[in-house]
Amino acid sequence: MVEERLILLRDKEIPDINNYDVYVKNGGFDALRKCVSDHSPADVIQIVIDSNLRGRGGAGFSTGRKWSFIPKDHPVKYVAVNADESEPGTFKDRQILENNPYQLLEGSLICAYSIQATAIYIYCRGEFWDLAHDLEACIEKLHKENLAGENILGSGWSCPIYVHLGAGAYICGEESAMLSSLQGLLGQPRVRPPFPTQVGGGLYYEPTVVNNVETLANVPWIINNGADAYLAIGTPESPGTKIFCMSGHIQNPGNYEVPLGTTIGDLIELAGGGQNGKKLKALLPSGASGPVLPLTDEVLNAPCTYEALASLGSTLGSASFIFMDEDTDMVWATHRMMEFFKHESCGKCTPCREGTHWLKALMDRVLAGDATESDVERLEVVSIQMAGKSLCALNDFAINPVLSTLKHFRSEYDAYLNGEGAKAASKKPVPAKA
Amino acid sequence: MSELVTIYIDGQPYEVPKGANLVDVAKFYADNGIPVFCYHPKMEPVGMCRMCLVELGTIMRDRDSGEVITGENGEPQVRWFPKLQTACTTTVTDGMVVRTNTDAVIEARDDMIEFLLTSHPLDCPICDKGGECPLQNLTMAHGPGRSVFYWEDKVRLAKHVPLGELIYLDRERCIQCARCTRFQDEIVGDDVLAFHERGRELQIITVSDPPFDTYFSGNTTDICPVGALTTADFRFEARPWELKDIASLDVYGPEGANISLSTRLDRDAGGIVIIKRVMPRQNEAVNEIWISDKTRFGHHHTRAAERLTKPKVRVGDRLVEAEWDHALEVIRKHIKPNVSVGAIAGPTLSNEDLWELRKLAQAVNAGAKLSIYPATMTGGDIIAQVGVGVGTNFKDMGSGTTIVVVASDIEEEAPIWYLRTKVAGDRGAKILVLNARETRLDHYAADSIRYDYGAAVSAVNDLAKHEAVTNAENLVLICGAEGMTLEQHGELMNACANLLVSTGHVGRPNNGLLAVWEGANVQGAFDVGFSTEATAEMMAKVPDLLFIAGCDPIGESAEAAGLSKAKFIVVNSLFDTPTTAVADVVLPSQSFAERDGTFTSGERRVQRFYPAQGVIGQSQTDWRIFASIRNGLNGSAVQRLTAGVFKELAGEIAAYEGLTYPALAVVERQFPDVGGDDLYYGGTAYQNNGGLGVQYPATSEAEGAKPSKFATKGKKTSYKGLTAIPVNRLYDRGYLFKYSDELMQQRIGEPFVVINPADAANIAGGSRVGVTIDGVQYEALAVVSEDAPKGFVLMPKRLTSQPGPFAPAAIETIEVIAEPVGA
Repeated sequence: MVEERLILLRDKEIPDINNYDVYVKNGGFDALRKCVSDHSPADVIQIVIDSNLRGRGGAGFSTGRKWSFIPKDHPVKYVAVNADESEPGTFKDRQILENNPYQLLEGSLICAYSIQATAIYIYCRGEFWDLAHDLEACIEKLHKENLAGENILGSGWSCPIYVHLGAGAYICGEESAMLSSLQGLLGQPRVRPPFPTQVGGGLYYEPTVVNNVETLANVPWIINNGADAYLAIGTPESPGTKIFCMSGHIQNPGNYEVPLGTTIGDLIELAGGGQNGKKLKALLPSGASGPVLPLTDEVLNAPCTYEALASLGSTLGSASFIFMDEDTDMVWATHRMMEFFKHESCGKCTPCREGTHWLKALMDRVLAGDATESDVERLEVVSIQMAGKSLCALNDFAINPVLSTLKHFRSEYDAYLNGEGAKAASKKPVPAKA
Repeated sequence: MSELVTIYIDGQPYEVPKGANLVDVAKFYADNGIPVFCYHPKMEPVGMCRMCLVELGTIMRDRDSGEVITGENGEPQVRWFPKLQTACTTTVTDGMVVRTNTDAVIEARDDMIEFLLTSHPLDCPICDKGGECPLQNLTMAHGPGRSVFYWEDKVRLAKHVPLGELIYLDRERCIQCARCTRFQDEIVGDDVLAFHERGRELQIITVSDPPFDTYFSGNTTDICPVGALTTADFRFEARPWELKDIASLDVYGPEGANISLSTRLDRDAGGIVIIKRVMPRQNEAVNEIWISDKTRFGHHHTRAAERLTKPKVRVGDRLVEAEWDHALEVIRKHIKPNVSVGAIAGPTLSNEDLWELRKLAQAVNAGAKLSIYPATMTGGDIIAQVGVGVGTNFKDMGSGTTIVVVASDIEEEAPIWYLRTKVAGDRGAKILVLNARETRLDHYAADSIRYDYGAAVSAVNDLAKHEAVTNAENLVLICGAEGMTLEQHGELMNACANLLVSTGHVGRPNNGLLAVWEGANVQGAFDVGFSTEATAEMMAKVPDLLFIAGCDPIGESAEAAGLSKAKFIVVNSLFDTPTTAVADVVLPSQSFAERDGTFTSGERRVQRFYPAQGVIGQSQTDWRIFASIRNGLNGSAVQRLTAGVFKELAGEIAAYEGLTYPALAVVERQFPDVGGDDLYYGGTAYQNNGGLGVQYPATSEAEGAKPSKFATKGKKTSYKGLTAIPVNRLYDRGYLFKYSDELMQQRIGEPFVVINPADAANIAGGSRVGVTIDGVQYEALAVVSEDAPKGFVLMPKRLTSQPGPFAPAAIETIEVIAEPVGA
């Protein structure tokens, strides 16, 4: 059986690592000290590039390359930490923030050092108010220990850290919407280019690195152990470990940190298999956003890497693995997801604003048993009408559940058209009004 | 001219300015209307509506050699974006390839239209925008014609949501393009509109109190691409296709804003043609496509119930209606050769009126005094010498330009200049504000310089050393007259002129002086030979015979009371006023809407306006009235047409030499291509068919001109005790605006004074006070605020029917009449 490899979820081994002294005793801030004393900012970026660390927020872009895009001679630069963890089924950042916050802060500071940032902003989702409160206490400690704030470790470089709470919008996890929200503007995605790393595109329109919590938490380990050691974990294209948020009809839900490349089947085994021994039928590999996969042998044997999931027609995303067992009504589940996207569309772009509304309205019809064959076709038509026509990815995420369930679980839709589905649905809990 | 690059649109090459917006370029250079809803050429693109999706690519070049890479057939290889791109967020670069006519693009447009329409009420038959609606037009051009969606699943929303008194929102019609919120935020700087909620719930709300608190709200209805925003003035009043558009000009401000009067035969108005609404008319050099709400909603005076319809003649202590012939005869009889004569011209008399008034007054007495009311500012001759150069355009001002605003609350006094100054500031121009108190423009100023009332001249003199002036490539001074006497203002104009001459900022575009004249044609009055000094002299020594036209000095200005002592007074007026009450003969004149003529703007642009509205009663054009009186006196000829009067004037007034009506009516194609039939692009602002006007050159622009220095004494006035400072408000109860209907009355508000807390020891904010000046008590609401400097009380002019001071005046007492309500 596959075993966990704990680089990020170190609290599983050292329960009170969220205590500053315990963190330091276990090598905490060695990496930051090493960077400040031994490495130039450019060296740090090179190490991260060499490690091929890929962004854990979902897109999987090379972290080091992103840092290298920041113009060197620009006077004001920021690091914005994306802790707006709101993808359904994702709860990995939460565990880091709660149980291993200093590792995130250290990683953020190393990133900030590498671009000589003016300040670090940590954008927490609104529901993380208690974590944000604890995080502020940690930051205060760092300021006291001269690990943040003025003249860090005597290097002459100053960088305060601020925590900001969102107001409960999924879209603010999208980096440019997050930056707007941080600035006090309406949380809506921005036109790119300019990208956040460019002048005009970042926080307050200054060049900004936006990284996910999990991404940055990897950085101290990479600095301490070197890029090669990191490359030795996982696969060459997708190196390192990844936290998989296992939820749904799985026996032991929770966060599991394993090397990338671990097969889906092994992950299921690690989490104890289907709940109450039931057969699992579907996997949502990246929360509500990615296409649903039927748990065929091909899928079960697929390694969890960015590339492999893409070749299966889905995405690794933030690796929030939601499992659905054989009793799950996929139409009902799709309806729930459509309700979610309709509720969370920011409304900026026409296709997403109107499209999510219509997909939800059509799913209402299907669920109520009022749909006809042509309504199911309409679901597809609307999805195609939306595809690729909006500013950010929410639009394209929203059509994934519909198109993928139509592709893999069409028979369940047919049941609803024949009047059988509605009867089945009546046994299910009534979906809460969004 | 900026660098040109080659781009290819649907296979055709075009040479276009590098970095320009693709939508603008395609429309202007390729006549290819890429449909848009959210994009507006005056605002930053946001790429929200997704209507402008196109296929976009770049011609591939070899990285090392820079050579174009060609395919097997010799055609250049194009690297295409994998997805459709929004044209509105694309700036053109060399070798850009655009396709706007492929299946993918056509389908995408169909898709967007279908999405928009499924949430739209399709109530075009009762919608005010119907007939001039971008959504309607683009639906006809691009829509699929049928929808796969269910009508009954459509969202139903509130249809009559007032955003303040002037603008209504129909939430069902709104397509969330954010043009209105962005206009308020980016262009005006009053971010009083915002989006609320998200997704399909996304809606426009107003976040100010009072709601939609701005002087420019009406413009949002022009740029709204659907009928979501409509004005309280025009909604349900007429259908656009019934309206005939007549080019006209703003009558309130010195900016010369170009407007279009939408007119229609109207049963309720007695079967005459009336103005149904006022729209902006594109003039990129003057007001672009923006007008203030005063300009837009202040047209009701032209057909107010109070309009005079017949002449009146004094019989004993009464004025009785008379026929024209009789009234003119009475005037002729009372004019004795060589009596002392004064003529007082209001700020809305056209150049032709002024010319005939001058001829009349001088026919009676060659030494006639020709004066301008209100007599608060002077220096029309200085503007003629060192005014802004021909070709000056706020739109061209940005980095390198410094705009100085002196002694003016420009938002209240010249809103279009305020808006354009603010936007120039956003583009990098430096704004300096010199005033004794804080004004709204200070918010955008690179530096705000405070002086004490009475010390404006030395503040301007000190500017010569200011970094923003010494480093300025271009320098424009905008001079007001707040807190000064006429004489002090003369000094200030000299000081401003001096600064410009000594720093070499005269005689070329985007350099020179502007005066914030109190009215639409004050510059014209100066040009034709009228002056404000003459007004002051006349008030000191009242002539025997007075001609007053187009103003109400006795009703507005405390200083003008003595004018009633003249032996014989002839008043041309639109309404009965305190001034007509002391007249011997009252003659009904026509408003700007009923006649044609020319105004000269503060930028010395001579522009035409045209007859639009049916004539009210027996009213006559002012110039014709003066000409008739003159003809009665000496039998001299009367021109048949306004154009003839202008021709005569242009022959005599050097500055107007060569100007003709046809020359003023010339229109050139303007960039961006707003107006016209392409409503989707710039909104319903009107194409300019009436002429762009002609800016006559200042004398400093002549070749080899060496403007001499202007004398200033630099003397400071210091005030002791509490002093009242009369200030201008955009919305007041002046001669014309008072008669704008109920709609605007709510926004004018009640009279108030602003008192510094240090001077308000016993006065609570919100109490009613009586301010006594020169033995006269003025009742007003007390606002206690730092907005008034210590020792000074701000007293807005023309908020009551009581004539008030127009120049700083010593306050004798302030007594509390009533404590604040609820105190």
